[in-house]
Amino acid sequence: MTLQFRPILEQWPYLLGGAWLSLEMAVLAFVCGMSIGLVCAALLQFAPPYPRRLITAYVTFATNTPQLVQIYFLFFGLPEVGVILPPLAAVLVGMTFNAGAYLCEILRAGFLSLRPAELEAAEVLGFSRLQLIRLVMMPHVMKVMFPSLSNQFIMMTLGTSMASVFGVEELTGRTLSLGADTYLSVEAFTVAAVLYLVISLVATFTLVLYGRLVHRIKTRML
Amino acid sequence: MSISIYDARLLLTGLLTTLALAVVGCGAGFLCGFAVAICRTTRAHGMAPLRAALYGYCLLFRRVPFLVTLFLVFFVSQSVNADLPTFAVALLTLCLIATAYLSEIIRGGLESVHSGQWQAARALNFSYWQALRYVIVPQAWRVIVPPAVGFFVMFIKDTALASQIGVMELTSAGKVLGNKGLPSMLVYGMILLLYFVISYPLTRLGKHAERKLAVTRNR
Repeated sequence: MTLQFRPILEQWPYLLGGAWLSLEMAVLAFVCGMSIGLVCAALLQFAPPYPRRLITAYVTFATNTPQLVQIYFLFFGLPEVGVILPPLAAVLVGMTFNAGAYLCEILRAGFLSLRPAELEAAEVLGFSRLQLIRLVMMPHVMKVMFPSLSNQFIMMTLGTSMASVFGVEELTGRTLSLGADTYLSVEAFTVAAVLYLVISLVATFTLVLYGRLVHRIKTRML
Repeated sequence: MSISIYDARLLLTGLLTTLALAVVGCGAGFLCGFAVAICRTTRAHGMAPLRAALYGYCLLFRRVPFLVTLFLVFFVSQSVNADLPTFAVALLTLCLIATAYLSEIIRGGLESVHSGQWQAARALNFSYWQALRYVIVPQAWRVIVPPAVGFFVMFIKDTALASQIGVMELTSAGKVLGNKGLPSMLVYGMILLLYFVISYPLTRLGKHAERKLAVTRNR
């Protein structure tokens, strides 16, 4: 067998467009998941027991079932009750649902690492509410959460490949159709693997740099 | 339309296939991961090329999506004319990925043991393997187990992707039942429940292990 990369590489704008969509999906799902996670984590901390149990049930369910089957449920199951989601929307809703649960756990762990004594000390020293959050809470909480958050984001970027199952034209979906068009599936997927590798390395590098510069977190790059 | 005995059998076969994929993948991944981790923690100069190769392997397989790796292995096995059944392709991919992830977890555990422990063991005339077996691994264990169990849970869920190359596991069984005209909501609800039944006990076990093995800093 001989490998022919030329016909695949000639299509690089097509593949790059797919990669861009993957990245967009990951960012969108991460941001939406983050807001769900924040609300859930806050409710877990402050809400009365009944809603708290509801949130625990959501987190347990979402983290213990495969994302793929969750999206199948949304995509094929919901039309039976009259909710018809287009593929991209179904994938995004599924990813958000899943990410919300994981991010809730990460955020909760971060907030639990905060000791009340620290906040009291800041209050005694006359910090205003905003200063307290900005100067005492955030540096501490970020130090605990930032690596997990970046890890979650990178996992989600790789997880967008699941959208190809539902016919979304992101990187994996475009690679599949390119492979089918040219009969060069091995080469197409090799190129896609390299692209995913580059995307995740760039994302890691950016996040590590951001963590170093903004939050003074020392993490190893690779 | 109601569920017949054949549908139930299909689901059961799917469940067993999923379990087989998960158990073999995790088991092989753990053993190979241990070997990779031990190679990567050596310091000898002669091992440097091997260490570099294994580093590349771990980097690559943890940064390419599962689905892409699966398709790549699938198409490569097709084009070299190896007449592998899809189950074997899925299993091979799962082992490759589990090895990469678990070797990082195990390496983290081994490196969490202070190097003074190595030196002390060597000073007491333990051989390399004895030091590893009696001094390092027992201490690394408690750092390794909780994240490893967490990975197993993730891994069981990832086996759902094997349905994409036509392995007849739980998700595929659900797809077949859905195509037969059973209400999709019911079918996928059931599949979700079955996955939950597999992975929830494991999650609880992981939490239990985490509490029980809570790291005492023996540095």
